[in-house]
Amino acid sequence: MEAVKEAPIPAMDSLTAAMKNNIVPNQEYLLQGSVLDSAVEVLLHRLRGLCDNVDSGPETFHDHEMCFSISNVYFSVHVLCPLHIIINIIFLLGSVTPQPLTLRVRRAIDYLDMPYQLRYIGQPELGDKSRPTILRNSIDVATTPTIVDFLTEMGFRMDFEYILRGYMFRKGRMKITVSKIFKMMVVGKPAPESVDPISQSYLVELSVLAPSNQDAIAEDMRVFAEQLKPLVHLEKVDYKRLTQPPM
Amino acid sequence: MQREDKQLELVLENFQSKLNEFKAQIYALIFKLEHERDNVNWTTVLDTFAVFSTQYTAIMKYLSYEKLPQLRNYSVLPLMLNPERDEDLARITENRVPALSHDIVPDFLRTKTEPEVEHKLMQVEHKAGGLQFETAQKQLAAFNKVVNHVLDLVSKAREEWEVETGARVGIGQTSSVADLHTLVSAVSMGKNLKPMVPQVSPGGMMVPPTGRPVTPSMGPNTPPMGMMPKPPPGMKTNVKAAGAPHPYR
Repeated sequence: MEAVKEAPIPAMDSLTAAMKNNIVPNQEYLLQGSVLDSAVEVLLHRLRGLCDNVDSGPETFHDHEMCFSISNVYFSVHVLCPLHIIINIIFLLGSVTPQPLTLRVRRAIDYLDMPYQLRYIGQPELGDKSRPTILRNSIDVATTPTIVDFLTEMGFRMDFEYILRGYMFRKGRMKITVSKIFKMMVVGKPAPESVDPISQSYLVELSVLAPSNQDAIAEDMRVFAEQLKPLVHLEKVDYKRLTQPPM
Repeated sequence: MQREDKQLELVLENFQSKLNEFKAQIYALIFKLEHERDNVNWTTVLDTFAVFSTQYTAIMKYLSYEKLPQLRNYSVLPLMLNPERDEDLARITENRVPALSHDIVPDFLRTKTEPEVEHKLMQVEHKAGGLQFETAQKQLAAFNKVVNHVLDLVSKAREEWEVETGARVGIGQTSSVADLHTLVSAVSMGKNLKPMVPQVSPGGMMVPPTGRPVTPSMGPNTPPMGMMPKPPPGMKTNVKAAGAPHPYR
Protein backbone atom coordinates (compact mmCIF):
# COMPACT_ATOMS: atom_id res chain seq x y z
CA MET A 1 0.00 0.00 0.00
CA GLU A 2 2.91 2.35 0.67
CA ALA A 3 4.08 2.08 -2.88
CA VAL A 4 0.57 2.59 -4.06
CA LYS A 5 0.25 5.92 -2.33
CA GLU A 6 3.26 7.42 -4.05
CA ALA A 7 2.12 7.27 -7.64
CA PRO A 8 -1.52 6.67 -8.40
CA ILE A 9 -1.50 5.57 -12.01
CA PRO A 10 1.28 2.98 -11.95
CA ALA A 11 -0.15 1.87 -8.65
CA MET A 12 -3.36 1.06 -10.39
CA ASP A 13 -1.48 -1.15 -12.80
CA SER A 14 0.39 -2.93 -10.08
CA LEU A 15 -2.84 -3.38 -8.19
CA THR A 16 -4.45 -4.89 -11.24
CA ALA A 17 -1.50 -7.22 -11.53
CA ALA A 18 -1.79 -8.08 -7.85
CA MET A 19 -5.46 -8.85 -8.29
CA LYS A 20 -4.72 -11.09 -11.21
CA ASN A 21 -2.14 -12.95 -9.21
CA ASN A 22 -4.58 -13.51 -6.38
CA ILE A 23 -2.59 -11.87 -3.66
CA VAL A 24 -5.07 -9.20 -2.66
CA PRO A 25 -7.28 -10.37 0.18
CA ASN A 26 -10.56 -9.41 -1.43
CA GLN A 27 -12.71 -12.34 -0.42
CA GLU A 28 -14.43 -12.59 2.89
CA TYR A 29 -15.42 -15.97 4.22
CA LEU A 30 -18.23 -15.43 6.67
CA LEU A 31 -20.37 -17.29 9.15
CA GLN A 32 -22.97 -15.58 11.29
CA GLY A 33 -24.86 -16.42 14.42
CA SER A 34 -26.44 -14.78 17.40
CA VAL A 35 -26.37 -15.24 21.12
CA LEU A 36 -28.92 -14.05 23.64
CA ASP A 37 -27.80 -11.38 26.09
CA SER A 38 -28.20 -13.83 28.95
CA ALA A 39 -25.69 -16.25 27.44
CA VAL A 40 -23.13 -13.80 26.13
CA GLU A 41 -20.91 -14.15 29.19
CA VAL A 42 -20.68 -17.89 28.66
CA LEU A 43 -19.78 -17.36 25.02
CA LEU A 44 -17.10 -14.80 25.85
CA HIS A 45 -15.67 -17.20 28.36
CA ARG A 46 -15.53 -19.97 25.83
CA LEU A 47 -14.02 -17.73 23.17
CA ARG A 48 -11.39 -16.60 25.64
CA GLY A 49 -10.41 -20.23 25.99
CA LEU A 50 -10.43 -20.98 22.28
CA CYS A 51 -8.78 -17.94 20.82
CA ASP A 52 -5.27 -16.60 20.54
CA ASN A 53 -5.44 -13.40 22.50
CA VAL A 54 -5.80 -15.16 25.81
CA ASP A 55 -3.48 -13.05 27.91
CA SER A 56 -4.65 -9.63 26.90
CA GLY A 57 -8.29 -10.55 27.21
CA PRO A 58 -10.84 -9.75 24.56
CA GLU A 59 -10.39 -6.56 22.57
CA THR A 60 -13.38 -4.31 22.84
CA PHE A 61 -14.65 -2.03 20.15
CA HIS A 62 -17.24 0.68 19.84
CA ASP A 63 -17.86 1.68 16.26
CA HIS A 64 -20.24 3.78 14.27
CA GLU A 65 -21.06 2.50 10.81
CA MET A 66 -22.74 4.44 8.08
CA CYS A 67 -23.96 2.83 4.92
CA PHE A 68 -23.97 5.05 1.85
CA SER A 69 -25.53 4.18 -1.43
CA ILE A 70 -25.75 5.58 -4.90
CA SER A 71 -27.72 4.35 -7.85
CA ASN A 72 -26.80 4.51 -11.53
CA VAL A 73 -23.07 4.24 -11.03
CA TYR A 74 -21.65 4.86 -14.45
CA PHE A 75 -18.81 7.18 -13.77
CA SER A 76 -15.13 6.94 -13.70
CA VAL A 77 -13.47 8.44 -10.71
CA HIS A 78 -10.12 10.08 -11.06
CA VAL A 79 -9.22 11.08 -7.60
CA LEU A 80 -6.29 10.28 -5.45
CA CYS A 81 -5.83 6.93 -3.84
CA PRO A 82 -7.05 5.09 -1.93
CA LEU A 83 -10.65 5.84 -2.80
CA HIS A 84 -9.66 5.72 -6.41
CA ILE A 85 -8.58 2.17 -5.88
CA ILE A 86 -11.63 0.99 -4.10
CA ILE A 87 -14.02 2.35 -6.66
CA ASN A 88 -11.98 1.04 -9.52
CA ILE A 89 -11.79 -2.33 -7.88
CA ILE A 90 -15.52 -2.40 -7.82
CA PHE A 91 -15.43 -2.05 -11.57
CA LEU A 92 -12.74 -4.66 -11.83
CA LEU A 93 -14.76 -7.13 -9.86
CA GLY A 94 -17.64 -6.59 -12.16
CA SER A 95 -19.92 -6.07 -9.22
CA VAL A 96 -21.67 -3.04 -10.58
CA THR A 97 -25.20 -4.15 -11.19
CA PRO A 98 -28.47 -2.29 -11.62
CA GLN A 99 -28.70 -2.39 -7.82
CA PRO A 100 -27.49 0.71 -6.03
CA LEU A 101 -23.86 0.62 -5.08
CA THR A 102 -23.30 0.72 -1.36
CA LEU A 103 -20.21 1.65 0.56
CA ARG A 104 -19.76 1.50 4.27
CA VAL A 105 -17.89 3.98 6.40
CA ARG A 106 -16.90 2.93 9.83
CA ARG A 107 -15.28 4.92 12.57
CA ALA A 108 -14.23 4.10 16.07
CA ILE A 109 -16.11 6.04 18.71
CA ASP A 110 -13.74 5.05 21.46
CA TYR A 111 -10.60 6.02 19.53
CA LEU A 112 -11.29 9.28 17.78
CA ASP A 113 -7.83 9.60 16.22
CA MET A 114 -8.12 6.31 14.36
CA PRO A 115 -8.59 6.54 10.62
CA TYR A 116 -12.01 5.93 9.18
CA GLN A 117 -12.55 2.73 7.27
CA LEU A 118 -14.23 2.67 3.90
CA ARG A 119 -15.46 -0.69 2.84
CA TYR A 120 -17.12 -2.28 -0.10
CA ILE A 121 -18.99 -5.53 0.46
CA GLY A 122 -20.23 -7.53 -2.49
CA GLN A 123 -23.25 -9.74 -2.78
CA PRO A 124 -22.88 -12.77 -0.53
CA GLU A 125 -22.58 -16.06 -2.36
CA LEU A 126 -24.19 -18.88 -0.52
CA GLY A 127 -22.77 -21.63 -2.67
CA ASP A 128 -23.88 -25.20 -2.41
CA LYS A 129 -23.91 -27.41 0.64
CA SER A 130 -20.29 -28.45 0.23
CA ARG A 131 -19.15 -24.91 0.88
CA PRO A 132 -19.08 -24.33 4.62
CA THR A 133 -19.21 -20.53 4.60
CA ILE A 134 -20.66 -17.56 2.83
CA LEU A 135 -18.27 -15.95 0.40
CA ARG A 136 -18.43 -12.28 -0.50
CA ASN A 137 -16.17 -9.72 -2.05
CA SER A 138 -14.76 -7.29 0.40
CA ILE A 139 -12.34 -4.44 -0.03
CA ASP A 140 -11.46 -1.90 2.56
CA VAL A 141 -9.17 1.08 2.89
CA ALA A 142 -8.35 3.49 5.64
CA THR A 143 -9.44 7.04 5.01
CA THR A 144 -9.67 10.40 6.71
CA PRO A 145 -12.89 11.70 8.28
CA THR A 146 -13.52 13.81 5.19
CA ILE A 147 -14.68 10.66 3.41
CA VAL A 148 -18.23 11.38 4.53
CA ASP A 149 -18.27 14.79 2.85
CA PHE A 150 -16.50 13.33 -0.13
CA LEU A 151 -19.07 10.61 -0.68
CA THR A 152 -21.90 13.07 -0.20
CA GLU A 153 -20.38 15.36 -2.83
CA MET A 154 -20.16 12.45 -5.20
CA GLY A 155 -23.85 11.86 -4.90
CA PHE A 156 -23.87 9.12 -2.30
CA ARG A 157 -26.68 9.27 0.19
CA MET A 158 -26.63 7.83 3.66
CA ASP A 159 -28.96 4.87 3.73
CA PHE A 160 -28.75 3.91 7.36
CA GLU A 161 -26.36 3.96 10.26
CA TYR A 162 -25.88 2.04 13.44
CA ILE A 163 -23.61 1.56 16.40
CA LEU A 164 -21.68 -1.60 17.14
CA ARG A 165 -20.30 -2.33 20.54
CA GLY A 166 -18.66 -5.58 21.44
CA TYR A 167 -15.65 -7.81 21.59
CA MET A 168 -13.18 -9.09 19.06
CA PHE A 169 -11.18 -12.29 19.20
CA ARG A 170 -8.55 -13.74 16.94
CA LYS A 171 -7.71 -17.30 16.17
CA GLY A 172 -5.04 -17.61 13.53
CA ARG A 173 -6.42 -15.84 10.48
CA MET A 174 -9.95 -16.00 11.80
CA LYS A 175 -11.64 -13.01 13.35
CA ILE A 176 -14.53 -13.47 15.71
CA THR A 177 -16.65 -10.51 16.70
CA VAL A 178 -19.42 -10.50 19.26
CA SER A 179 -21.28 -7.28 18.86
CA LYS A 180 -24.41 -5.57 20.02
CA ILE A 181 -26.14 -3.56 17.34
CA PHE A 182 -27.70 -0.27 18.37
CA LYS A 183 -30.05 1.88 16.44
CA MET A 184 -29.35 5.58 16.59
CA MET A 185 -32.32 7.58 17.71
CA VAL A 186 -30.89 10.86 16.51
CA VAL A 187 -29.10 11.09 13.19
CA GLY A 188 -25.36 11.50 13.61
CA LYS A 189 -25.49 11.37 17.39
CA PRO A 190 -23.95 8.19 18.72
CA ALA A 191 -24.23 9.27 22.33
CA PRO A 192 -25.05 6.39 24.67
CA GLU A 193 -28.32 7.94 25.81
CA SER A 194 -29.66 8.19 22.30
CA VAL A 195 -29.04 4.67 21.12
CA ASP A 196 -31.31 1.68 21.38
CA PRO A 197 -30.38 -1.99 20.98
CA ILE A 198 -32.29 -3.49 18.10
CA SER A 199 -32.58 -6.95 19.62
CA GLN A 200 -32.04 -8.98 22.75
CA SER A 201 -29.10 -10.75 21.16
CA TYR A 202 -25.54 -10.17 20.20
CA LEU A 203 -24.46 -10.71 16.62
CA VAL A 204 -21.63 -13.22 16.35
CA GLU A 205 -19.52 -13.19 13.21
CA LEU A 206 -16.66 -15.44 12.24
CA SER A 207 -14.78 -14.14 9.24
CA VAL A 208 -11.54 -14.40 7.33
CA LEU A 209 -10.28 -12.06 4.66
CA ALA A 210 -8.30 -13.93 2.06
CA PRO A 211 -7.27 -13.78 -1.56
CA SER A 212 -9.45 -15.68 -4.00
CA ASN A 213 -9.53 -19.44 -4.09
CA GLN A 214 -8.38 -20.16 -0.59
CA ASP A 215 -11.19 -22.49 0.26
CA ALA A 216 -9.16 -24.42 2.81
CA ILE A 217 -9.72 -21.70 5.36
CA ALA A 218 -13.46 -22.23 5.11
CA GLU A 219 -12.98 -25.74 6.43
CA ASP A 220 -11.06 -24.38 9.43
CA MET A 221 -13.91 -22.02 10.08
CA ARG A 222 -16.42 -24.83 9.98
CA VAL A 223 -14.39 -26.73 12.58
CA PHE A 224 -14.17 -23.67 14.77
CA ALA A 225 -17.90 -23.06 14.47
CA GLU A 226 -18.51 -26.65 15.59
CA GLN A 227 -16.70 -25.87 18.82
CA LEU A 228 -19.13 -23.11 19.70
CA LYS A 229 -22.17 -25.35 19.45
CA PRO A 230 -24.68 -25.54 21.01
CA LEU A 231 -24.10 -22.13 22.51
CA VAL A 232 -24.07 -20.38 19.17
CA HIS A 233 -24.96 -21.84 15.82
CA LEU A 234 -22.79 -20.12 13.28
CA GLU A 235 -24.36 -20.59 9.89
CA LYS A 236 -24.60 -19.35 6.37
CA VAL A 237 -27.40 -16.84 6.55
CA ASP A 238 -29.35 -16.69 3.34
CA TYR A 239 -29.69 -12.99 2.61
CA LYS A 240 -32.19 -13.55 -0.14
CA ARG A 241 -34.61 -15.14 2.27
CA LEU A 242 -34.21 -12.29 4.72
CA THR A 243 -35.53 -9.77 2.22
CA GLN A 244 -38.80 -11.64 2.00
CA PRO A 245 -41.18 -11.37 4.90
CA PRO A 246 -41.46 -14.60 6.88
CA MET A 247 -44.56 -16.67 6.30
CA MET B 1 -28.06 -101.27 30.49
CA GLN B 2 -24.72 -101.25 28.84
CA ARG B 3 -25.86 -98.80 26.26
CA GLU B 4 -27.05 -96.47 29.01
CA ASP B 5 -23.73 -96.73 30.80
CA LYS B 6 -21.90 -95.85 27.66
CA GLN B 7 -24.12 -92.91 27.07
CA LEU B 8 -23.61 -91.67 30.59
CA GLU B 9 -19.89 -91.94 30.19
CA LEU B 10 -20.02 -89.98 26.97
CA VAL B 11 -22.14 -87.27 28.54
CA LEU B 12 -19.84 -86.97 31.52
CA GLU B 13 -16.84 -86.72 29.25
CA ASN B 14 -18.47 -84.00 27.21
CA PHE B 15 -19.54 -82.21 30.33
CA GLN B 16 -16.09 -82.38 31.77
CA SER B 17 -14.44 -81.03 28.66
CA LYS B 18 -16.86 -78.13 28.63
CA LEU B 19 -16.20 -77.43 32.28
CA ASN B 20 -12.45 -77.60 31.71
CA GLU B 21 -12.71 -75.13 28.89
CA PHE B 22 -14.67 -72.80 31.08
CA LYS B 23 -12.18 -73.23 33.88
CA ALA B 24 -9.26 -72.45 31.58
CA GLN B 25 -10.92 -69.20 30.56
CA ILE B 26 -11.47 -68.19 34.16
CA TYR B 27 -7.83 -69.00 34.88
CA ALA B 28 -6.76 -66.85 31.96
CA LEU B 29 -8.71 -63.92 33.32
CA ILE B 30 -7.31 -64.35 36.82
CA PHE B 31 -3.83 -64.60 35.41
CA LYS B 32 -4.35 -61.45 33.41
CA LEU B 33 -5.68 -59.58 36.43
CA GLU B 34 -2.74 -60.67 38.54
CA HIS B 35 0.08 -60.11 36.08
CA GLU B 36 -1.04 -57.47 33.62
CA ARG B 37 -3.10 -55.37 35.92
CA ASP B 38 -1.93 -52.12 34.33
CA ASN B 39 -2.83 -53.06 30.80
CA VAL B 40 -6.28 -54.43 31.47
CA ASN B 41 -9.11 -52.12 30.62
CA TRP B 42 -12.64 -52.54 31.82
CA THR B 43 -14.12 -53.20 28.41
CA THR B 44 -12.07 -56.35 27.89
CA VAL B 45 -12.97 -57.59 31.37
CA LEU B 46 -16.59 -56.92 30.64
CA ASP B 47 -16.29 -58.80 27.36
CA THR B 48 -14.74 -61.76 29.17
CA PHE B 49 -17.61 -61.81 31.62
CA ALA B 50 -20.04 -61.85 28.77
CA VAL B 51 -18.24 -64.88 27.34
CA PHE B 52 -18.42 -66.59 30.75
CA SER B 53 -22.08 -65.96 30.94
CA THR B 54 -22.75 -67.53 27.54
CA GLN B 55 -20.54 -70.44 28.39
CA TYR B 56 -22.46 -71.05 31.59
CA THR B 57 -25.78 -70.86 29.81
CA ALA B 58 -24.54 -73.29 27.19
CA ILE B 59 -23.50 -75.79 29.84
CA MET B 60 -26.81 -75.55 31.64
CA LYS B 61 -28.63 -76.01 28.36
CA TYR B 62 -26.55 -79.06 27.60
CA LEU B 63 -27.42 -80.60 30.94
CA SER B 64 -31.12 -80.02 30.56
CA TYR B 65 -31.20 -81.55 27.09
CA GLU B 66 -33.92 -84.16 27.40
CA LYS B 67 -32.19 -86.98 25.59
CA LEU B 68 -29.39 -86.93 28.10
CA PRO B 69 -29.64 -89.15 31.16
CA GLN B 70 -30.74 -87.11 34.13
CA LEU B 71 -27.60 -86.76 36.17
CA ARG B 72 -29.52 -85.98 39.28
CA ASN B 73 -31.01 -89.43 39.19
CA TYR B 74 -27.60 -90.88 39.85
CA SER B 75 -26.26 -90.96 43.35
CA VAL B 76 -22.69 -90.77 44.49
CA LEU B 77 -21.85 -92.89 47.47
CA PRO B 78 -18.71 -92.53 49.52
CA LEU B 79 -17.64 -96.12 49.98
CA MET B 80 -14.67 -95.40 52.16
CA LEU B 81 -13.50 -92.39 54.10
CA ASN B 82 -9.84 -91.93 54.69
CA PRO B 83 -8.11 -89.20 56.70
CA GLU B 84 -4.79 -89.93 54.99
CA ARG B 85 -3.63 -87.86 52.05
CA ASP B 86 -4.66 -89.43 48.76
CA GLU B 87 -2.21 -88.47 46.00
CA ASP B 88 -4.51 -89.50 43.19
CA LEU B 89 -7.37 -87.45 44.52
CA ALA B 90 -5.11 -84.46 45.10
CA ARG B 91 -3.88 -84.68 41.50
CA ILE B 92 -7.37 -84.96 40.02
CA THR B 93 -8.66 -82.03 42.04
CA GLU B 94 -5.50 -79.98 41.56
CA ASN B 95 -4.65 -80.10 45.25
CA ARG B 96 -7.94 -78.70 46.36
CA VAL B 97 -9.04 -81.96 47.99
CA PRO B 98 -6.07 -83.79 49.45
CA ALA B 99 -8.09 -86.49 51.19
CA LEU B 100 -11.61 -87.84 51.26
CA SER B 101 -11.96 -87.33 54.98
CA HIS B 102 -14.84 -86.99 57.41
CA ASP B 103 -14.42 -83.26 57.38
CA ILE B 104 -15.21 -82.59 53.81
CA VAL B 105 -17.50 -85.35 52.69
CA PRO B 106 -20.66 -83.93 54.31
CA ASP B 107 -20.03 -80.62 52.54
CA PHE B 108 -19.00 -81.97 49.17
CA LEU B 109 -21.66 -84.58 48.77
CA ARG B 110 -24.50 -82.67 50.32
CA THR B 111 -27.82 -82.78 48.48
CA LYS B 112 -29.91 -81.01 51.07
CA THR B 113 -29.34 -77.79 52.99
CA GLU B 114 -27.69 -77.97 56.37
CA PRO B 115 -29.97 -79.10 59.17
CA GLU B 116 -29.63 -75.81 60.92
CA VAL B 117 -30.62 -73.84 57.86
CA GLU B 118 -33.36 -76.28 57.08
CA HIS B 119 -34.76 -75.80 60.54
CA LYS B 120 -34.77 -72.05 60.23
CA LEU B 121 -36.41 -72.22 56.85
CA MET B 122 -39.12 -74.47 58.28
CA GLN B 123 -39.74 -71.99 61.07
CA VAL B 124 -40.15 -69.10 58.66
CA GLU B 125 -42.41 -71.05 56.40
CA HIS B 126 -44.53 -72.12 59.34
CA LYS B 127 -44.80 -68.55 60.50
CA ALA B 128 -45.80 -67.37 57.05
CA GLY B 129 -48.40 -70.09 56.77
CA GLY B 130 -49.94 -69.23 60.12
CA LEU B 131 -50.39 -65.56 59.33
CA GLN B 132 -53.83 -64.04 59.32
CA PHE B 133 -54.92 -62.81 55.91
CA GLU B 134 -55.54 -59.29 57.18
CA THR B 135 -52.19 -59.04 58.91
CA ALA B 136 -50.55 -60.23 55.75
CA GLN B 137 -52.37 -57.60 53.75
CA LYS B 138 -51.37 -54.94 56.25
CA GLN B 139 -47.74 -55.95 56.10
CA LEU B 140 -47.88 -56.08 52.36
CA ALA B 141 -49.29 -52.57 52.25
CA ALA B 142 -46.64 -51.31 54.65
CA PHE B 143 -43.91 -52.92 52.63
CA ASN B 144 -45.28 -51.47 49.40
CA LYS B 145 -45.36 -48.06 51.02
CA VAL B 146 -41.73 -48.29 52.03
CA VAL B 147 -40.67 -49.49 48.59
CA ASN B 148 -42.62 -46.76 46.87
CA HIS B 149 -41.08 -44.18 49.14
CA VAL B 150 -37.60 -45.39 48.26
CA LEU B 151 -38.54 -45.38 44.60
CA ASP B 152 -39.73 -41.79 44.93
CA LEU B 153 -36.47 -40.79 46.54
CA VAL B 154 -34.47 -42.40 43.80
CA SER B 155 -36.48 -40.93 40.95
CA LYS B 156 -36.41 -37.50 42.54
CA ALA B 157 -32.64 -37.68 42.88
CA ARG B 158 -32.39 -38.79 39.30
CA GLU B 159 -34.57 -35.95 38.12
CA GLU B 160 -32.48 -33.43 40.00
CA TRP B 161 -29.35 -34.90 38.58
CA GLU B 162 -30.70 -34.72 35.07
CA VAL B 163 -31.77 -31.13 35.50
CA GLU B 164 -28.33 -30.30 36.81
CA THR B 165 -26.50 -31.90 33.92
CA GLY B 166 -28.98 -30.34 31.55
CA ALA B 167 -28.27 -26.92 32.98
CA ARG B 168 -24.56 -27.49 32.71
CA VAL B 169 -24.81 -28.36 29.05
CA GLY B 170 -26.87 -25.21 28.59
CA ILE B 171 -30.19 -26.69 27.80
CA GLY B 172 -31.66 -23.24 28.10
CA GLN B 173 -31.91 -21.43 24.84
CA THR B 174 -28.80 -19.45 24.08
CA SER B 175 -29.52 -18.22 20.62
CA SER B 176 -32.55 -17.24 18.65
CA VAL B 177 -32.98 -17.56 14.92
CA ALA B 178 -35.41 -14.66 14.84
CA ASP B 179 -32.86 -12.43 16.56
CA LEU B 180 -30.17 -13.55 14.14
CA HIS B 181 -32.32 -12.61 11.21
CA THR B 182 -33.18 -9.28 12.77
CA LEU B 183 -29.52 -8.52 13.34
CA VAL B 184 -28.27 -9.67 9.98
CA SER B 185 -30.96 -7.90 8.00
CA ALA B 186 -30.28 -4.76 10.01
CA VAL B 187 -26.55 -4.84 9.40
CA SER B 188 -26.72 -5.88 5.79
CA MET B 189 -29.77 -4.04 4.55
CA GLY B 190 -30.48 -1.49 7.22
CA LYS B 191 -33.80 -3.01 8.13
CA ASN B 192 -35.25 -1.11 11.11
CA LEU B 193 -32.27 1.20 10.98
CA LYS B 194 -33.38 3.71 8.40
CA PRO B 195 -32.99 7.21 9.77
CA MET B 196 -35.71 9.02 11.61
CA VAL B 197 -38.12 11.34 9.88
CA PRO B 198 -35.94 14.21 8.69
CA GLN B 199 -38.27 16.97 9.96
CA VAL B 200 -37.25 16.30 13.54
CA SER B 201 -35.18 19.16 14.85
CA PRO B 202 -31.72 17.87 15.73
CA GLY B 203 -31.75 19.26 19.26
CA GLY B 204 -35.21 18.11 20.24
CA MET B 205 -35.57 14.98 22.30
CA MET B 206 -37.31 12.12 20.64
CA VAL B 207 -40.27 10.75 22.49
CA PRO B 208 -40.62 7.08 21.83
CA PRO B 209 -44.11 5.94 20.91
CA THR B 210 -45.88 4.20 23.74
CA GLY B 211 -47.30 1.30 21.81
CA ARG B 212 -44.77 -1.20 20.63
CA PRO B 213 -44.61 -0.81 16.91
CA VAL B 214 -45.19 -3.98 15.03
CA THR B 215 -44.53 -4.27 11.36
CA PRO B 216 -46.25 -6.91 9.30
CA SER B 217 -42.96 -8.10 7.90
CA MET B 218 -41.79 -9.31 11.28
CA GLY B 219 -42.30 -12.78 12.57
CA PRO B 220 -44.44 -13.37 15.62
CA ASN B 221 -41.41 -14.30 17.72
CA THR B 222 -39.46 -11.19 16.99
CA PRO B 223 -38.50 -9.53 20.26
CA PRO B 224 -39.20 -5.85 20.83
CA MET B 225 -37.08 -3.95 18.44
CA GLY B 226 -37.05 -0.56 20.04
CA MET B 227 -38.33 2.23 17.91
CA MET B 228 -39.64 1.66 14.47
CA PRO B 229 -40.18 4.98 12.81
CA LYS B 230 -42.75 5.27 10.12
CA PRO B 231 -40.80 5.71 6.94
CA PRO B 232 -41.16 9.02 5.17
CA PRO B 233 -43.20 8.72 2.02
CA GLY B 234 -40.36 8.87 -0.44
CA MET B 235 -38.07 6.50 1.39
CA LYS B 236 -37.68 2.94 0.30
CA THR B 237 -37.89 0.51 3.17
CA ASN B 238 -38.44 -3.15 3.59
CA VAL B 239 -41.77 -2.70 5.26
CA LYS B 240 -44.33 -4.35 3.05
CA ALA B 241 -47.92 -3.27 3.06
CA ALA B 242 -50.05 -5.92 4.67
CA GLY B 243 -53.40 -6.91 3.27
CA ALA B 244 -55.27 -6.46 6.53
CA PRO B 245 -55.52 -3.01 8.14
CA HIS B 246 -52.85 -2.53 10.77
CA PRO B 247 -54.05 -2.26 14.38
CA TYR B 248 -51.81 0.73 15.13
CA ARG B 249 -52.63 2.75 12.08
